[in-house]
Amino acid sequence: MTATTGTSSPASPGSSPTKGRRESRRALPPKPWTVREVVIALVLTALVVLVAVPVLYALLNSFRTYAEITRDPMGIPTTFNLDNYVDLFQRTDFAEALLNTVIITAVTVILLVLLVPMAAYGIERIGGRAGRVLYVLFIAGLMIPFQVRMIPLVEGFNNVGLYSTLTSVILVHLGGAASFGVLLYSSFLKNVPTEVEEAAEVDGAGRLRTFWLIVFPMLMPVTSAFVIIQALNLWNDFFVPLVLLDSSSAGTINVAINRMVGLLTSEWQLIYTGAILAIIPSVVIFASFQRYFIKGMSIGAVKG
Amino acid sequence: MTQTSTARPAGDGRRIDPVDSGVPSPAVPRGGPARTGRSRRVLGLSRKRWGLFAFVVPALVVYLLMVIAPSLQSVQLSLTNWDGISPDYSYVGADNYTAMLTSGRFWNAVVNTLILGLGSAVIINVISLIVALLLDSLHHLQGFFRTAVYLPALVSPFIAATIWRYLLNYNFGFVNTLLRDLGLPEAARDWLGDSGIVVWVILFIICFTLGGNTTLIYLANLQSVPQELLEAARIDGANRAQVFANVTWPMLAGAVTVNMTLSMIAGWTIFDQVMVLTSGGPGFVSETMAFFIYRVGFGEYRAGFGSAAAVLLFLVVIVSTVAANAYMRKREIQS
Repeated sequence: MTATTGTSSPASPGSSPTKGRRESRRALPPKPWTVREVVIALVLTALVVLVAVPVLYALLNSFRTYAEITRDPMGIPTTFNLDNYVDLFQRTDFAEALLNTVIITAVTVILLVLLVPMAAYGIERIGGRAGRVLYVLFIAGLMIPFQVRMIPLVEGFNNVGLYSTLTSVILVHLGGAASFGVLLYSSFLKNVPTEVEEAAEVDGAGRLRTFWLIVFPMLMPVTSAFVIIQALNLWNDFFVPLVLLDSSSAGTINVAINRMVGLLTSEWQLIYTGAILAIIPSVVIFASFQRYFIKGMSIGAVKG
Repeated sequence: MTQTSTARPAGDGRRIDPVDSGVPSPAVPRGGPARTGRSRRVLGLSRKRWGLFAFVVPALVVYLLMVIAPSLQSVQLSLTNWDGISPDYSYVGADNYTAMLTSGRFWNAVVNTLILGLGSAVIINVISLIVALLLDSLHHLQGFFRTAVYLPALVSPFIAATIWRYLLNYNFGFVNTLLRDLGLPEAARDWLGDSGIVVWVILFIICFTLGGNTTLIYLANLQSVPQELLEAARIDGANRAQVFANVTWPMLAGAVTVNMTLSMIAGWTIFDQVMVLTSGGPGFVSETMAFFIYRVGFGEYRAGFGSAAAVLLFLVVIVSTVAANAYMRKREIQS
């Protein structure tokens, strides 16, 4: 709802019918920019540029050599030089780290979408006291940060031989994201009428089929929001892989960059290059799902 | 939460009614099986619910193993002197807790967590609300600016902190070079090595944002404020500030609760920036609770002690979340 008011037209629903009609007629030719709006647009532009300064600086310096950076820190790259990008892949195990990050992100997101909507659906339709207990149990996880449980988790993974594997990282993320997922899907499922499901069941569809063929498609707005939020979180995560992956693994991108900071202390240009490469996929994920994302955020947000 | 409790019985009633009311009446034995062909009769209801329970089981197992069980084990380990590697340990009662509560290093971490967690929650919410208000009063290109404002949030805290680490380098960093170029060489300092300012530098870096999700939540709520209310207030002669204070702000109470709670939970666990920028240094000056647990538990081989800190962090999170919610919900009702 908010998304439509936000994007479709500047005309807001007026209070009285006459006012509303006048507004909608005026909305046909585009409203002129007011001075106030121009000022706001300029302020917002300035803010975005200001906040982007570190990233822009890293981008510029990813095309320069270490000698250039230290000789003139404020200098602008003179040539479009991609040596650093080549170096990063040839001299470090950044490629493996990149692959690890892709695997962790993709597998976790897929498993989450397979498990969480089904769980939330079960909780909502069980209802009553049992449903409520399950719901609260899951939601409690929102208040249990990873730090609270990481020491036993490392020990446990060690005992079963999963320490420093991608599996351990994926499992921890699954548990951590389940709470948020149940919260998101439950609030949406409350407004999904049960009549359609009942009709499908009467028609002889099994409960599992009913869920995946009838209910799950109705959850698409939530799913797209959930997927993009989780994909970005997973891609950007640093702490979980830092704790669970030791030097026997190439780590994720962020872990690899962190190791470079320690090992390649005099190669700032590679750090800047790695940082830029870590940001690009986030932007791609966001750009491809942007529309769903903002809609989904609005769904969850307005309900509070 | 309140929504849940009210919505659930209603939903239940609707679903259960046909079955429940049917059971005592003779209609079901006759028509039930023939019409639906599905086993809804004898233990119909509970069977249905057990069937639904199977939907929850896979996620529940992972969740219990990855979240609940290790949390409980943290409580157990916090009562031991385990070092994190040797196979055995012994119980030491509350020793870890008393040692911690009398440790200056721990309290320093608590104070830093308060400054960084609460400070960043408040500052980021103010920034987000201002940006959302600017976006809301923009009638052209709103979608474009909304995306532009969100873009900086795509840079992870880790990457941002890593870049800042180099920007703040004493000799060749962007910040000090800029200050020297501007003719202020005396303002250039060792930003991350000066124990008097390092925590505030980290706070600045955490708050160097346009809010991302927080801004989107405020914007969505601003756009759901009924236009009638705003216009009525304007017709009554209220200026912009008055409209905001008396109409918009009370309508945003729910969003403030959500955003402050989320920001605070994130704030109590600030780790990436500290790890990257200072590793807790100089000395232990800039440690947060999350960093303290990590350093003590894994770096100093005091897993029992670290677990005790983890339990205390959990208590901080739960108490502040519940208290903040109770306080802000009360405010919501009043307004």
